[in-house]
Amino acid sequence: MTSPEVVRPFPDSEEMEVSFGPQHPATHGVLRVMVKLDGERIIDAKPIIGYLHRGTEKIFETETYNGTIPHTDRMDYTAAATNNQGLVGAVEKLMGVTVPPRAAYIRMLLAELQRLSSHIIWLGTHALDIGAQSPFFYTFQEREIILDLYEEYCGARLTLNCMRVGGQPFDLPEGWTGRCKAFVDQLPARIAEWERLLTNNRIWKKRTVDVGVISAKDAIEWGLTGPPLRGSGVKWDIRKVFPYDHYNEVEFEIPIGANGDTYDRYLVRVEEMRQSVRIVQQCLAKLPDGPVMAKVPKVIKPPKGEIYFSVEGPKGELGYYIVSDGGTKPYRMHVRPACFINLQALPEMVRGLLVADLIAVIGTLDIVLGEIDR
Amino acid sequence: MSFWGFLASVFQVDLLQGLSVTGKFFLHRKATIQYPDVKPVPADRFRGMFGFSEERCIVCHNCAKACPIEIIHIADHFEEIEVEGKKKKKKVLDRYDIDVKRCMFCGLCEEACPTEPVAIWLTTKSYESAAYERNERLYFDKKRLQNWDGVEPYPGVVTPEKGQMPNDPSGGAAGKAGEQKS
Amino acid sequence: MANPWIAFLVVPLVKIVVILVAVILLAAYLSFFERKILAYMQIRIGPNRVFPRGWLQPIADALKLFSKEDIVPTRAEKLVYLLSPVITTAPALVVFSVVPFASATTLFGLLKEPVTPYLTDINIGILFILGVSSVGVYGIILGGWSSNNKFSLMGGLRSAAQLVSYEVPMGFSVVAVLLMAGSLSLVKIVEAQKQAGVWFFLPGIVAFFIYFVCGVAETNRSPFDLPEAESELVAGFHTEYSGMKWAFYFLAEYANMVVISSVATVLFFGGWLRPFPNVAALAFLDVVPPFLWFAAKVGFFLFCYIWFRATFPRYRFDQLMALGWKVLLPVSLANVMAVGLGVLLMGGAR
Repeated sequence: MTSPEVVRPFPDSEEMEVSFGPQHPATHGVLRVMVKLDGERIIDAKPIIGYLHRGTEKIFETETYNGTIPHTDRMDYTAAATNNQGLVGAVEKLMGVTVPPRAAYIRMLLAELQRLSSHIIWLGTHALDIGAQSPFFYTFQEREIILDLYEEYCGARLTLNCMRVGGQPFDLPEGWTGRCKAFVDQLPARIAEWERLLTNNRIWKKRTVDVGVISAKDAIEWGLTGPPLRGSGVKWDIRKVFPYDHYNEVEFEIPIGANGDTYDRYLVRVEEMRQSVRIVQQCLAKLPDGPVMAKVPKVIKPPKGEIYFSVEGPKGELGYYIVSDGGTKPYRMHVRPACFINLQALPEMVRGLLVADLIAVIGTLDIVLGEIDR
Repeated sequence: MSFWGFLASVFQVDLLQGLSVTGKFFLHRKATIQYPDVKPVPADRFRGMFGFSEERCIVCHNCAKACPIEIIHIADHFEEIEVEGKKKKKKVLDRYDIDVKRCMFCGLCEEACPTEPVAIWLTTKSYESAAYERNERLYFDKKRLQNWDGVEPYPGVVTPEKGQMPNDPSGGAAGKAGEQKS
Repeated sequence: MANPWIAFLVVPLVKIVVILVAVILLAAYLSFFERKILAYMQIRIGPNRVFPRGWLQPIADALKLFSKEDIVPTRAEKLVYLLSPVITTAPALVVFSVVPFASATTLFGLLKEPVTPYLTDINIGILFILGVSSVGVYGIILGGWSSNNKFSLMGGLRSAAQLVSYEVPMGFSVVAVLLMAGSLSLVKIVEAQKQAGVWFFLPGIVAFFIYFVCGVAETNRSPFDLPEAESELVAGFHTEYSGMKWAFYFLAEYANMVVISSVATVLFFGGWLRPFPNVAALAFLDVVPPFLWFAAKVGFFLFCYIWFRATFPRYRFDQLMALGWKVLLPVSLANVMAVGLGVLLMGGAR
């Protein structure tokens, strides 16, 4: 793919290379971007990562399968449930285990609530980067209720450890479905309020329309997934294309954008929140009875082999590639992080823009350094 | 742009909409909890500080094996005791240490414990264990785990020597697989 | 013999002291109110711990800033570096010498003769205000340059460019008021509104909006606060300033906010007049002293400043400049022509 030549306003002047350092309030973690500037125009931007590397994939090789689950919570720490879902789904597929329907529905509930929580964080912080301070607080207040629901279910708010190989560790506590339903029923009104603050706002539009444009063809070539891909107009969602966990039994739409700019990705994520609400309401209505754990041995020993399994996380396609040698610990477990691959398209998206737009584009890619660096 | 669109743009309708939202929230009830005067109450299943009961523990080492980061250190020895005239061997717990400063509060140790009620549990609703000095204050040996020395128990929480959580007759097993449905 | 001393020395000195103390306290407490009001709009409570319930927070902040280490960057131009905060703050305070807070009052009968609650009323009042507040721009450029930090310089230049560009439409919107009032003196402008029986806000509504938008841009406040925003590459001209020197810049910003609000009140909202000052039916409103009307109106504008900060995202710098030059300037020029035509048709200035 060819990138267009940036029109240099003063072709004889020198470029300035600035390190948009790892400690910065707007880079959503410890991301460093080396930016080549000509005045205010960005000529090139190179993200440098690795400041949060903790050797997670090596740790995986030293744990039993159920023991790796808490470590996955800490990769994309804003979306722990979908991380767990990917891992246990991969191990179950390798072992050939089907979880009971009640467990699968509970997993869908937790994953969709997690998608709501992650998009809420994204909306608050993206608006904050662009200058609107208040949506951060309104969105996080709603997130508090989601975290309370998680706390009642599995005991933790952020690092959930809420799934096991073969099903769920606990059943839903009493009254949880009632509280969950009360929460999601009033959420569309809240989302409408946040939209009133931003969607038609002329300043918001000026900052986000035509900023960070990536075409559908380029998005596919760069390997983007999730809202960056759907914002460019490609209708691709793992939940529809390779359904897992009874997603083919609930109805929901995949929102896509038209231009592939920041504003479209914003609209796509807000609409995804509404669709998640729809899924949660349907799951609550259809929740079947039954056990929550399948018959799996106490010590989990998948057969020799390898498998790749992916889920649609809030950031994009989160995949797990496991190589098992028949023992209790995985031989190799590799994670396909959605944010890492989305971040690679950053230079493509910011070439030719102004410095203030760099912040907007980093925000719209919705990166979490925990997942990028692992 | 249509006529109404032009008028809306001139009269800044979009900006006024935004102002109305923040103005409305100005009069909203505030969400702040005035800690430490008012302390938020965690849920029943909240994974907090450890509770340990030496009488219930059968020294099976399941918790130490299940812990992903191996912070539970157990040492035991066999003793001969007389039961109904026969000599039997009994495991006696020498050392049960948890290195809490490295704990990630995942709860796998509680799940692995086979006794009923469990001998090691996290659902103590207590989250205030901050310390000025990490290495000594956050290393709990057998005695400190049962006395909760240096940990401020949550108001109403029954300390480990006296049993499990209050209002929890099943001993913390409520919510285990298949027991409750809603 | 005592009388001239009192009339020409003691009374003005007392007024100067009262105005200075009041303005500085107001600027400090404005920071407190901003934190509280922003917090309330964001469903949280602002500072509420410093005795009692947060009200001594600005005093605590001032004490903290006084006790900070005095840092001067190594190769900074020392004299200019130390003087720049003063160059910004002094004009902001000097402007208050001509702002009329209320009409002549006897302080509820305490004084024998009525005293004017403002320091002085010169016959080029509004020109004085516009001129003196422009001197504050020097402090910003010099502060950014003398810090020996290329990002401060960039931020200072951007900020100065923004301030200078938005002064032009602001001046034109003020011209519209002058056409209606017929005088540059601030007291006479208020009296002209009393004679007309309506605040100039109504006939000059376009001028008012332009004036207020330019005022927000002049004080580097949201949504025009890109030069000071934290989530930007450049942290602005006051990056290298800490402690009391930074507090001066801070004070200057809040004092400028109060200046813009006061001038907007005087020019467009009738100063110390009650709504519809000539309508007899509303005479019961006269029980409220004029100073309170003035304070209420200024308070409303300050609330609007904080409301804008809570609500709007930031403009990018090029969009900001485009707004000033391509939108506000032509509109303000057209407004001047329209108001002039209106005044001519209505038979001269009132």
